[in-house]
Amino acid sequence: MIVYDKNLLDNLTLVEEANSLEAAGFISKEQKVFIKKELPAFKRQSNILVRIGFFLLGAFLYLSICGVIALMGFTTNEHSFSEICCYLFAIVGFAGAEFLAQQKYYEHGLDDAFILGALLNVGVAIAITTEGYEIQVAIFVAVASFFMYRRYLHLLSLLVFCLAASAVLFYGMFELGSIGEMILPFAAMLISAGFYFFTKRILNNLKESYYCKGLLLANTFCLVLFYLSCNYLVVRELSIDFLGSEVRPGEDIPFSFFFYAFTFIVPVLYLIQALKTKDRIMLWISFLAIGFSIYTIRYYYSVLPIEVALTLGGLVLFALAYFSIRKLKDNEAGLTFKPDRINNSYAILNAEALIVASAFGMKPEAKAPDSPMNYGGGGFSGGGSEGTF
Amino acid sequence: MNKFDDQATKALLERNLITENQYEEITSYRNLNIFSLNAELKLFLYLSVLLFTSGIGVLIYNNIDSIGHIAILSLLLIVIVVCFYFCFKNSKGFQKQETAFEHPVLEYLVLAANILTCVFIGYLQFQYEAFGTHYGLATLIPTVVSFFCAYYFDNKSVLAIAITGLAAYVGLSVTPQDLLNNSRFYSGQSLGYSAVMLGGLLILWTIYSSKIQLKTHFKIIYLTFALHIISIASINNLIYYYYGIWIVFAFILAGSSFYFYKVSHQMKAMSLYVFMIIYAYIGLNIFLFRLCEAVDFSDFWQLLILILPVYFIGSIIMFIKLIKTFNKEIAA
Repeated sequence: MIVYDKNLLDNLTLVEEANSLEAAGFISKEQKVFIKKELPAFKRQSNILVRIGFFLLGAFLYLSICGVIALMGFTTNEHSFSEICCYLFAIVGFAGAEFLAQQKYYEHGLDDAFILGALLNVGVAIAITTEGYEIQVAIFVAVASFFMYRRYLHLLSLLVFCLAASAVLFYGMFELGSIGEMILPFAAMLISAGFYFFTKRILNNLKESYYCKGLLLANTFCLVLFYLSCNYLVVRELSIDFLGSEVRPGEDIPFSFFFYAFTFIVPVLYLIQALKTKDRIMLWISFLAIGFSIYTIRYYYSVLPIEVALTLGGLVLFALAYFSIRKLKDNEAGLTFKPDRINNSYAILNAEALIVASAFGMKPEAKAPDSPMNYGGGGFSGGGSEGTF
Repeated sequence: MNKFDDQATKALLERNLITENQYEEITSYRNLNIFSLNAELKLFLYLSVLLFTSGIGVLIYNNIDSIGHIAILSLLLIVIVVCFYFCFKNSKGFQKQETAFEHPVLEYLVLAANILTCVFIGYLQFQYEAFGTHYGLATLIPTVVSFFCAYYFDNKSVLAIAITGLAAYVGLSVTPQDLLNNSRFYSGQSLGYSAVMLGGLLILWTIYSSKIQLKTHFKIIYLTFALHIISIASINNLIYYYYGIWIVFAFILAGSSFYFYKVSHQMKAMSLYVFMIIYAYIGLNIFLFRLCEAVDFSDFWQLLILILPVYFIGSIIMFIKLIKTFNKEIAA
């Protein structure tokens, strides 16, 4: 099913390993260059900026090809062409993806543009034919994206597949009528838990290294879906949006106690489990989940005014980080504050200066000097900070 | 996945790409089973500073009439002094090269102290008009303080604040979100020139400081700001101005692209290179568009659509070549 040469995929793993070993200082730079030269490789862009750049260019190319087709189509037969144009565009996408894969483009940016473009057009085409029948669109997109993943090992397609599959579940439960609507959160929870353990098991018995990333992605997606499926905010807002059920003051949604408990217990469980199994992805998800749980509470109950909450939150977080650092500082193995030579998440720290500049950068003073709200530059009126958090 | 990393290392050994010694060193390190929370905890410190200072900012903003001014000012001052006290006590003094605190927390205390100082001065100006109508001064002083902190304590985040302050003094908003969304600050002609001048100044400063070996690791931050300020200012003026002036900015853009082409090779900085190419490409397209307008293609627009894919394929081939040569040169 995979279009690529398996040796090249194996080489890719080896080169990535060599890169991380070089960054960790275990092998010299010359050695890394030598390894790269020894192993034939894909045309691939590892730098994310370059990849995004090529993605945009690829998208332009795709659009311009579609433009040519549209030009020819509309001049021949306007009505029937608008019915089938998206199918034609999707075919262009599939053909482009196949061509690029034959030319050994992998994770390059150009291939991303064609694969994602094809999926988008499949969705739109089905939506036009079925006149926007959601579950059919979701089913077709899910099938197409899974095919794209299996053939081109394209991770973003797998993400599309996960989203589309959840949409199938979601709309499928709606088809079942009121019982389906009632048990939707629980069904989503059980199914994501089931798939979590299913993907985990495949991952543990996996032989081919190139499926590893995709399975990890699916696994992570299940974790996120599990948390969101029974989060109080999500359940309540969705039931208002889709079922039209109103929550009057003094009342609450059914099973609210369960949803509240779930919202708080699951992030903590994630955190404990992540630290126990040394699972970095789960750790990050647990941080995000804790943040979202706090947001959930603040959404319905404004416990403290926002400024006090921010200030106190800052102090608490500071104390937490400070004491954790003190405790972990001298550990040589296991859980520690010392930087890991091989796996580290420094990329996020590099963005610090950027975030500071966006949140606290100074703005020029207002041009009208007689305005009563003139802050005279400085720009720290909270203008930079308001609404950001 | 740990299992696959081990397998990959073993495969490297089997192909004789790494030595036996290296393999043993790597496996013994892996067996320590290190799970480092370094980046995560630093991020927490960082977030806590952001939360705390925003909280204080909003607090002052909302209660500007209710709490006593003196109370707010003195409270702020105390916090600032305490932060700075710890920073100065533990710093190694000014150094020309890259330095770091022994304890990572201090780096974030510097940031907090600096942001709070800016809040303090802004509040002073708002409430007491300490600088009278010299609004520029109220921007300049936080900027000077930030530059001092950035150089003395060697803090990149503070440096970024200082540069935005400098730009604000000139009358520009260079916070990243403004650079992305809103261009009205640049479209005025005089602002366009001052943006270009500011960028030029930043570049000159990097040349000077690398000559005297002063904090050479700051160079990339200055250059990033300079690249974006100059390029966005010239592109905006390219779009908005007709009749002659746009040609001036076309030359400026071409010149800056050439300079950054050179400098990105020198610094081996992919980010500078990529953005330089993107800006140059946008500029080139606007230029071509202007030419098409002049020739009046309105009868041939179908032909243009037919040519477009060929044009994009040509651009893609050119870009692939550019990136390839760059990668080769920085690897050498």
